[in-house]
Amino acid sequence: MLETMIARRSILASLGAAGTALVAARAFPASAQAVDTARAAAFIQATGQELVAAINGRAPVAQRREQVAAVLRRAVDVDGVGRFILGRYYRQATPAEQQQYMRLFEETLIRNLSARFGEYQGVRFSLGRAQQRTEDDTLVNTVIERPNSAPFSLDWRVGEVGGQPRVVDVIAEGTSLRLTTRSEYSAVISRNGGRVSALLEAMQNQVAQLAAREGR
Amino acid sequence: MRLPRSPLPRLLAATLALGLLGGALSGCATRPPADDPEALEEFRATNDPIEPWNRAMYDVHQAIDTVVLRPVAVAYRAVLPQPVRTGVSNVLSNLRSPVIALNDALQGETQRFGTTLGRFLLNTTLGVGGIFDVASDLGLPPHTEDFGQTFAMAGVEEGPYLFIPLLGPSNPRDLLGFAAGIAADPFTYLTFGNRDLADTLYLIRAGATVVSTRESLLDTLDDVQRTSLDPYATLRSAYRQQRAREIANTPGAAPAAPQGLGSGLGSTGPEPRQP
Repeated sequence: MLETMIARRSILASLGAAGTALVAARAFPASAQAVDTARAAAFIQATGQELVAAINGRAPVAQRREQVAAVLRRAVDVDGVGRFILGRYYRQATPAEQQQYMRLFEETLIRNLSARFGEYQGVRFSLGRAQQRTEDDTLVNTVIERPNSAPFSLDWRVGEVGGQPRVVDVIAEGTSLRLTTRSEYSAVISRNGGRVSALLEAMQNQVAQLAAREGR
Repeated sequence: MRLPRSPLPRLLAATLALGLLGGALSGCATRPPADDPEALEEFRATNDPIEPWNRAMYDVHQAIDTVVLRPVAVAYRAVLPQPVRTGVSNVLSNLRSPVIALNDALQGETQRFGTTLGRFLLNTTLGVGGIFDVASDLGLPPHTEDFGQTFAMAGVEEGPYLFIPLLGPSNPRDLLGFAAGIAADPFTYLTFGNRDLADTLYLIRAGATVVSTRESLLDTLDDVQRTSLDPYATLRSAYRQQRAREIANTPGAAPAAPQGLGSGLGSTGPEPRQP
């Protein structure tokens, strides 16, 4: 009984791993590679400090947004993550749509963060307990503390892209932002007759709303 | 011993029946053509063959949530300070301990079983009926376990994704596990020699669980509603990822994810630390 359970478990696990590897292989023709844990942790430490400094800074919002944008462009594999999220639809999109998608995706990332500068005021950040290395990347755990709310743990998936460590995913309480967003975008496209343009429209509206919210 | 007279199990049975009936009657999601393997693979991976029905149930849930659940949770947060809310949440977590311990045992997790038992004994006594989570400070951190996870460990497939109004994201395996959790809970049957009192306490517990869980999810769910282009799809993905992690008992995984992101009848509510 126990043996069967364990056998089933490992079969399931290997199936799952194979499936994930397949999806990843499709999404990243030139896949990211694992980074040394110490290097990945140092990279996240530095990036986190820069982000926290920008968020807590005294400069006007627009200027802080530019700072955050610069940090994200440098630290996140925006191109790889964007492609992974759009998945098979990336190849179905026209070159013009691909370009517009990448621009909107980056804008969404930046605006989603900058629209919350107020909420994140006073945020503190520290490296957490476990840093573990997986086959393709390194998970760096951090603890985010905000005044008047319970601290929460955030995992950063760091891969090596073009010889440099880059963030390829953020995982909050076991939920991968990359996977969740992939699901979300795919649902928008398939519910609109498989048109990538419908997603682009929705993203455009969202960016406009986030901008309006910031202007408040 | 007695069978529970409270409306909760009956409500559950009704929603279960409705869900299954709906799946059978409503139009299923359109399966992609066989000549599109990538689309087929995605359809399979999404695991939501009765999506149109689930989306309708999601809309029903959102309507209830907008009118009742969320406003009550907002008021609860506004009226009671954090330490009191943490105490309420701790008591509810403590009441879940017997079912967690039972599932630890069924999964052969002897160390986790010991942790759960130790937590229950310490928090019930030193922690004044579970109000204070003294066990965490003494090195016994909380974790969750439920019948859905035990069934999964025994090789039961999750089955198609289901969205149940009030309960939130689920699937046949976890829904059955939820019912089993109620059936196996000793507090479902305790009468204290007074049936009416027992029923009242049972209802208070159920109500408090809904409100406390919904309050703990206020920020997360507000965020999903505000930022997701398709909150239904986001919740579906998040639920399945979190369940996969809970079933795997990932080391160091914080037990912060309640079952049923939608509201709060989840049997594995959050177990926050002491303030």
